[in-house]
Order: sequence, then structure tokens, then C-alpha cells
Amino acid sequence: METYFLKKEDILKFYERIAQEYELFVPVKAESLSKPKCECGPSLLTDNFTLKKFSQVNKEDIVFSDYRCIEPTRTFFTHYKEDLGTCFETTGLKEKKERPQALCGVKNCDIFALKIQDFVFLGGNEVDPTYKARRESTLIISSDCPVFKDVCFCRAFDINPYPVEGFDFNLTPLSNGYLIDVATQKSRMIALSLKDIFAPATLAQLSGRSAKRESANRRLDDYLKQYQIPKKETLQDIVLSGYNSPVWNEEMRTCVECNGCVFICDTCHCFLLTDDTSSGNARRLRLWDGCLFKNFTKVAGGGNALRLRYMRLRNRYLKKFDFFFSNLGIQACCGCGRCIDVCPGKIDIRRILRKLHESRYAPKEVTG
Amino acid sequence: MKKNIYQPIKAIVEEVIVETPTIKTFKLKPQEPLRFATGQFIELTVPGVGEAPFTPSSDPGVSDVLDLTIMNVGEVTSKLHKMQKGDLVGIRGPYGLGYPLDKFKGRDILIVGGGVGLAPLRSLLFSLFSNIDKYNKVVLRYGARTSKDLVYKAYFPEWAKKDKVDLLASVDVGDPSWQGNVGLVTTVLGAVPVDFANAVAVVCGPPIMMKFVTLKLLDLGFKHDSIYLSMEKSMSCGLGKCGHCRIGKYYACKDGPVFTYEQLKDIRDIWD
Repeated sequence: METYFLKKEDILKFYERIAQEYELFVPVKAESLSKPKCECGPSLLTDNFTLKKFSQVNKEDIVFSDYRCIEPTRTFFTHYKEDLGTCFETTGLKEKKERPQALCGVKNCDIFALKIQDFVFLGGNEVDPTYKARRESTLIISSDCPVFKDVCFCRAFDINPYPVEGFDFNLTPLSNGYLIDVATQKSRMIALSLKDIFAPATLAQLSGRSAKRESANRRLDDYLKQYQIPKKETLQDIVLSGYNSPVWNEEMRTCVECNGCVFICDTCHCFLLTDDTSSGNARRLRLWDGCLFKNFTKVAGGGNALRLRYMRLRNRYLKKFDFFFSNLGIQACCGCGRCIDVCPGKIDIRRILRKLHESRYAPKEVTG
Repeated sequence: MKKNIYQPIKAIVEEVIVETPTIKTFKLKPQEPLRFATGQFIELTVPGVGEAPFTPSSDPGVSDVLDLTIMNVGEVTSKLHKMQKGDLVGIRGPYGLGYPLDKFKGRDILIVGGGVGLAPLRSLLFSLFSNIDKYNKVVLRYGARTSKDLVYKAYFPEWAKKDKVDLLASVDVGDPSWQGNVGLVTTVLGAVPVDFANAVAVVCGPPIMMKFVTLKLLDLGFKHDSIYLSMEKSMSCGLGKCGHCRIGKYYACKDGPVFTYEQLKDIRDIWD
């Protein structure tokens, strides 16, 4: 991996070069409703970032996103509604003649989450060809998180707020520009053509980056202390031992079953194959599905293994922290905190995990 | 051209056999031969309605015609039940793992079916019958609510005559036309002529029946890894991707749909 330095004023040239070959998505500030201050802990940044097409934004609106964007990175690989063609026509399958995409603003949490998506759509008995094509053609331009959002908790699971693998380019912001890691053949070709603006990084710049990264880790660690999030090594054990815990029911009291947490989740992947009959010729669709919907596991005849709300919440945690540990050796949670941001019921994964951990390791004494 | 893994092949309904007032067997002719191992399932498309998973009930040795025995209970099946000879359906698959016939060799095989759950077991029976020398004995115990709900009645006399085959059907509620046994299928298991400790048991039926049959089999001394259970889940993709059919660390579509009790015993609420 080579590392270069790019002056701040040259970033647009970099983007323009990428945009020659790719449909480039860049971070901009999202116009969001005012957000109440976090109830616990210090008041933190609440700006939101979202990815927009480079070709469609005012260039002065492009920002460096300090932390992950609103949308999960998976939206660029499996669209929430995918038209698979008519029922039988292979020729009707929209041969996905998409321009290869380049994604800026991808963070290390997103890169971690892609491990889960890759396992699902590239692994198993069959490879999903659409996902594979998109994954292979997409250029990932990730970046460090110099600061974090109030809901971020990647470090609780030993995921750092800066990527060291899984990208083509990685940007680290410095005061007067960016360090750019060039990690793959794809990105090397582009770097070659940008020799005039890519200067080799100096030792001073590299050690400056290390210091910044350590500082980012330390600040996030300090911030996360208040949440007492269990270590990732304990997650499988606490969700299994907490099977009959009252936590599931307690936490579901404020759930409105919107499935926002599922659809905003970077690691969720469930989908439903269905036929759209609204037009004359039925189309086969692949839609994102959510395990908090009450019919998620309903079978013909009415049987439903997840018929009650608390069962569905528990199922979600078992999938993330039991199933994926057993099958892939990692948890299906990257600590991005998107589910916390989106929940109208203030259901907080950090709190649920802490409660499960507490009841496992420090059960309340039975009194009376 | 990239293969669309979610797309079915066409199949034509060749014949519809009425088994019971709510169950029909559909003989389907796929446009290309479809090879499956007994116990594997397919996703059946009823165009314009959707898909549902079924395990073929026909002989796996036959690949140009496929039988599906289906109860009318849901959206897909109710439309399917209105279909007639010549109608078009779609098939994806086969998916999942079949019955591990290698492990059945030289052993007594107890097959316990409930209602329409005899469908996948009929496919298994055909496989066993075609190589009956390899197995010690095949014992079938089949239960249904009433005599009207028994499927494949026409086959029973032929099967009963076979060497090394022992067959008994039982109904939960008797009626004057029924000469056979009356009682839940669990009540006839104690007396089955098999060597419990070394036999294999294959069970398919509604969840409540599977639960009590399993408990009975454990009671009789069947080994945990010798009880094979067909798990009913809402399988959508069949490929281990869509996430609907998770059972503990398994997906029913990829790791099943047949599991041993050994695989399932530590997972909670498996009968729900």
C-alpha cells in the first residue's frame, strides 16, 4: 500500500478524475430536522451526512464527512427494491447495465459490515450475480473519522474509526490536505494518472496520522465508558443466556414496529422474493424484509415462530450475535449506531446489550 | 449472460389427483429434467401470486415428471388448487440436503408421517423400495385426523405386500367406514417392530405431531442423531440468503430442511 499527500484545494481534481470512470457519490450535509440533545453525556455534533451523485451536487456543498453517512453502505449493493424481471424471462432480467460506482465517505464500520453482506451474497451455495457485479465494479474511497457521533460505538467491538483494509482509496484529513492510501490495482491506475497532485507522504505526515488516530481512539473510548457496552467476546453468550430475560419485553414497549432499525442497519440483509401483479405482466421483485414485521416467519396455515413482539426483538439479537458468531466468527453489528439514531422509540442497542450483560454476570439479588 | 439465481424454470401441470377434500397431488412436467435427492425441496411459483416451498413426493429416480402433494392452506396453494392440466407453473431448485440414505443402510427404518406430511416421506419410500436390499426393514406409521384425510390410500395395499415392509395407518377420529386403528400416531409407536437403539426414525408432519412423536421416540430409546425431523419454515429464497428460515445457527433451506434431533436439541422453541 502506498500513501500520498493531496492538498486540500486539489480534492476536486481527484473527484473529477474518479468521475470520469465512475458514478461518483460524495458526502454532503443532510438537511435534517433539529435533533434534541443527547440525554446523557456531552452535547455532540448532530450533523448528518448523506451521499449524493457528484454529477448532481454543487461542488461547494461537498464536505469531508467526519463520521458515517445516514444511509448504510449496503444500499449501494442491494437496492431495497430490485426488479428481477418477469417470472420466467431470463431476457427480461434487467441486465444491470449500471455505471460502476465510486463511494466516498465509506467508514470503517461500513467496511466491517460489508463482511457480513459478502458472506451472505457471495458465500453459500450460490453467488448472487448482481451483488457480485456491483461489489467488484465499485470503487471504495473510505476515510478516517476524526470525530464521532453521539451514537457511534465501533470501538466497543474493537472496530477502529479508521480503515486499514477493505478499500481502494482511504483518506485521512490533515490540516492542509489529505493522506491518501492506495491499496488496490484499480486505485493504483488512477493514482498513476494523478501524479501531479499526489505527492509521496512524508514521515512527519505519517506519524501525524498515527497520533491523530490514537487520539480518535482514546476520545471515543472515553466517551463510551458511560455506556458499559459488553466486549464482543461475551455477546453470543449473553444473548443465549438471556433468552428468557425480561429485557426483550421491557425494550419492546416503545417499539412501533416501523423496522427503521432493520432498514438502516448496515449488516441486515434479509429479503423477500415476491411477485408484483399491479401491472399486467407479473414482475418478480426482491424486496428488503425486516424481522420485526409480524409476518416475517409466518407460514401458510397461520403458524408463526415469532408471533409476539418480544420474540422478534430477541430473534434480531440472536441473528446478529449468535448466528453470525457461529457461522462467520464475527458479530453482525458494526457499531455505527444508525439504529439508535433512527428509532422513534429510543430503543438503544447499547442499553440492551448492557442489561443482558448485567443480568448474566451480576444478577440482581432476590429480595424478600 | 449472468444466471438469475432467483428465476424458476417452467413446468406444465400434467395431471391433478384429488387426494382428500383439501389435498391434491400435482404431476408437473418441467421443461428440462429436474434431478433431486429425496428430502430436498423446491420453490414452486404460481405465476402472479408468488412462491412457496414444497418437497416432491415422487420417486427421485424419475426426473422428467415431479409430483407435489399440496394442502390448500395459503395464498399460493389456494390458487394452485384451482389449476388444471396444461396450466403453467415455475420451479426453482432443488434446494437443501436430502435424507442421508447412506446412514440408513443395514438398519431398521421407522417412518412416521402425519397428514400431508406423508408427501416427502413417499419420495423417501420410493427410494428405499428401489434399493430395499440395502436396508434391514421399513416400518411406516401414518396418522391423519380422519379416514378422509389419509393421502395415497391407493398405494397402501401395494406397499403392504412388499417384503421387509410393515405398514399401519391410524386416524385420530374413527368413523364407520374405517376398519383400521383409531388413535394418535404416537400411541402406536411403542409396539413398532424395530430395534429402537439402532434404528433410524424419519418424522414429518405438523409441528405439534413432530414434537410429541420426537418425545415418544426419545422415550423409546432412539439415539438423538438417528431421529430425522422435517422443519417447517417460511423459506423464501431457498439459498441461505433471505434470512427467513433461521433455526439457531442453521438455515432450514440450506442446512435442512431435514435435521437430526441432535442438531436441534439445544435450540429453544424449535416446535413453534
